[in-house]
Amino acid sequence: MWPLSSNANPVWLSLYLLTFAIHVVLVGYVVAGTAYALIQALRKKDDPIAEGVRDRLPFMLGLGITAGVAPLLFLQLLYQRRFYSANLILGPRWGAVVPALVVGFYALYVAKATVVPRLRKLALATGLACFVFVAWSWTEINATMQDEPAWREMYAEGARLYAQDMVVPRLLVWLGAMASGFAILAAWWARAVDYRRLAIIGVVGRLVSALAVVWLWRAGFTIDDYNPSIVTAAKGWTYVLACALVAELAGWAWMYRSTASSALSLVTGAGTAALIAGVVVRESPRLALIEAPRAAALDAQGIGVFAATSLLGIASITWIVRTIRTKKD
Amino acid sequence: MDPTSIPSYPVNEFGPLMKGLVIGGVGILHVFLAQFAIGGGALLYYFERLGQRGVQDARTFVDGYFKVLVLVSFVVGALTGVAMWFTTIQVGARTIGLMVDEFHWLWATEWVWFSIEICAGYAFYRFGPQLDDVARRRLLALYATAAWMSLFWINGILSWQLTPGEWANGGSMWAGFFNPSFWPSLFFRTAVAATLAALVACILINTMDLPRDRRAALIRIASRFALPMAVMPLLALWFMAVIPSDSRQWLMGGSMPMTMFVGVAAGASTLIGGYALVGLFWKRIYINGATATLLLALAFGATAAGEFVREGARKPFTVRGVLYSTSLTPDEVTRMRDAGAVTHDPYPLRDATRYPTEQLAHGAKVFRMLCDACHTMRGANAVMHLAHTWKPDQMRMNIAKLQHTKAFMPPFAGNAADVEALVQLIRWEIADAPAKWPITQVPPEVWQWLYEAGTSPGGAE
Repeated sequence: MWPLSSNANPVWLSLYLLTFAIHVVLVGYVVAGTAYALIQALRKKDDPIAEGVRDRLPFMLGLGITAGVAPLLFLQLLYQRRFYSANLILGPRWGAVVPALVVGFYALYVAKATVVPRLRKLALATGLACFVFVAWSWTEINATMQDEPAWREMYAEGARLYAQDMVVPRLLVWLGAMASGFAILAAWWARAVDYRRLAIIGVVGRLVSALAVVWLWRAGFTIDDYNPSIVTAAKGWTYVLACALVAELAGWAWMYRSTASSALSLVTGAGTAALIAGVVVRESPRLALIEAPRAAALDAQGIGVFAATSLLGIASITWIVRTIRTKKD
Repeated sequence: MDPTSIPSYPVNEFGPLMKGLVIGGVGILHVFLAQFAIGGGALLYYFERLGQRGVQDARTFVDGYFKVLVLVSFVVGALTGVAMWFTTIQVGARTIGLMVDEFHWLWATEWVWFSIEICAGYAFYRFGPQLDDVARRRLLALYATAAWMSLFWINGILSWQLTPGEWANGGSMWAGFFNPSFWPSLFFRTAVAATLAALVACILINTMDLPRDRRAALIRIASRFALPMAVMPLLALWFMAVIPSDSRQWLMGGSMPMTMFVGVAAGASTLIGGYALVGLFWKRIYINGATATLLLALAFGATAAGEFVREGARKPFTVRGVLYSTSLTPDEVTRMRDAGAVTHDPYPLRDATRYPTEQLAHGAKVFRMLCDACHTMRGANAVMHLAHTWKPDQMRMNIAKLQHTKAFMPPFAGNAADVEALVQLIRWEIADAPAKWPITQVPPEVWQWLYEAGTSPGGAE
C-alpha cells in the first residue's frame, strides 16, 4: 500500500509516520492548550478545562519532546543529506529551538505552580511564544530541506529565513489542526457540559486549516509539480482525509448539541483517521526526495532488540497507567 | 574521481568559538545532567526502600528530591539531549550521520528506555504521594532501571567512536557496540552517576527543615552512593589499557593540554572521592550545603575534563579509522590528494569579496573544508596564532606533512595548489588582510613533501 510501496524503506517510513503522528498529538495539545489557558486567563474566567490543561501541560510537553526524538531519528535515515543541509543553512537560528523549548518548558511549570494571575498570564504568553517559534522553525526547515536549488544562494547570503509566503500558511494549517486535536484530547478529560465549547474550538481549528490551505494554494503551492505517480497516490489519501474531516465535523455538530459519549467517540475516530491521512498527505511531496538507503544503514543490525524493547516499553507504560489508576484520591 | 561522490555540507562558523567548544559546552552539560538523573533514580529507590523499612525522613527526602530531578533533569537534561543532536549536525554532520546509519536500531531502543524513564518519572512525580508502598517501590525501580538502560545503549555507541574493535575489521555491529572500551566506560559512568546523585542529595538534605542530627543521618545514607568512587581509579586504568596506544600516549604526556585535562579530571575526582570516602563515610563528618555545592562544582569540572579527554583521545578521527575530524574518510583523503580539496564543494564563500585574489579565495575554501572543524582563523585554537612564527617554506612543509607535524592531525586532504593557497591565506591574515597580495606559484618541493607524507595517519595504528 502506498506510501509504503514507494521507493522508501517501508519499515523506516512507517515508523517515521507513526511516531510523527504521536508526536503531533502531544505537541498539538501543548501549543493549543497553552493558547487556550492563556485566553481563559486573560478573560479572567474560572474554567475547569483551563485548570486541568495547566496541570497537564508540563507532562504533555515532556512526552511530546520525548516522542519527537523517534521521528527525528527516522528522518535522518530517510532524508539525511537534506535534513542536515537545511539544519546547517538555517544555522544558529534553527538551533534556537532548543533554548526556546527550555524557556517554554519552565514557563509551563510557572503557569502551573503560581497563584498570581499576572505571573500566570506572563508565563503562558511566554510559553506560547516559544512554542509557536518552534513550530514555525520546524515548518521552515521542512520547506527548506525540499528546496535544494535555493541552498547555495541562501548559504552565500547567510539567509536565515526561507520563503515566508509559503511557511506562514503552512504553519497556520498546523496551528488549526493543533486546535482541533487539542479539543478532542481535552474532551476526554472534560465534563460533558463543556463539550459545546470544545466543539467550537474543534470546528474553528479545522476552519483555520482550511483557510490556510486556500492561502497556500493561492501562494502557488501545488502537488501537481511533483512526480505524477505520487500525485495520484497522494490524491487518494487526500480523499480519505476529506472524508475523515467531514465525519469529524459531523461529530463536532453532534457534540455541540448533545453530551453523548458516542459523539466523542466519533470525533476521536474521525480525528485519528484525519491525523493519519494528514500525516501521509503532508509527507507525499517529500517522498520523491527520499535518499537511496546507505549501505551502513541497510545492513544495520538490532531491529530484533528494538522490537523486543518496544513490546517491553508498551507493557511497562501500560502497567504505569494501570498503577496510577490505583492511587488514593 | 567523481567529486560529487563525497557528501558536502555547508559549513557554519561560530565567530571566535571553535566548534569543539560549542559541542563540548552542550555535551558536558548534557552528560552531567543525564548522569545525575541515572544516579538519582537508583538513589531514590534505595531511600524509598529504607523509608518503607522505617528509616526516619527517608520518604520525605524522596518526594523532595524527585521534584528537583524532574525540574532539572527532565527539562534541561532531556532538551540538551536534543541539542546534542542539532549541535553535532552543526559541527560534524557526517559523523552523526554515520552513527545514525550504523546504530539506528540501538538508538531507537535507547529511545524506548528513555520513554519508559520519562513516563515512570512523571507518574511518580505526579502521583507518588497517593500510591501505596509497593507501587511506589516498583515505579522507582522501573524509573531507575530505564534510566540506566538508556546509559547502557548510548554508551556503546559513544565508546565505539574511539574503539570500534572488531567492527573495524569487518565484524558485526554488535562487535562495534560491545567494543573494548564499552565495559570500563559503562562502569565508570555508573560510578560517576552514583557520586553525582550523592552530592546533589547532600545539598538537598541541607535544605530540609529538620534538626541537624536527622539531616546528618540522611547524609550518611546518601554518602554510600559515593562509595563506587573507590573503584574509579581501577576503571580509569582499565579504560586507558584498552584505548589505542597513540591515544594513550597523548593522554600520558604526548599532548600537554590533554595530559593536563587528565590531571584535572583525576585530581578533582581524587578530592571528591577522598572527602566522600574518608570524611563522609568513614569519619562520618557533617557536610553543609556550601561544601556539598563546592564538591558538586568540582564534579562538574571533573566531568568536563573527562569528556574533553574522551573527545580529544579520538584525534585525528571522529570514528577511529573510518572518519577523520575533517569528516573525510581515509579513501577520500587519497582521492582528494589528486583532485583537490574543494572541487566537490558546491557552496560559495560567504565573504568572497573580502579576498583580493582568487588564490586567497581558494585558500579560504580550503580552510573551510579542512581546518574549520577544529580551528578558527583568529579566535580559539587560531591557525593564525599557531603559525605566525613559521617561515613560508616551513608553513608549506608543516601543512603538506600535517600528520607528521602533529600526529593527532589528519593527513592533508588536498593537492599542492591547495597547500599553497592555504599558506598564502594564513600569511595574508597574519599581515592583517591587506588590499593587495601577490599570487604565488606552487614551489616544486610542496609536491615532494606531500608525496613523502603520504595519506596514512601520522601516529594512529
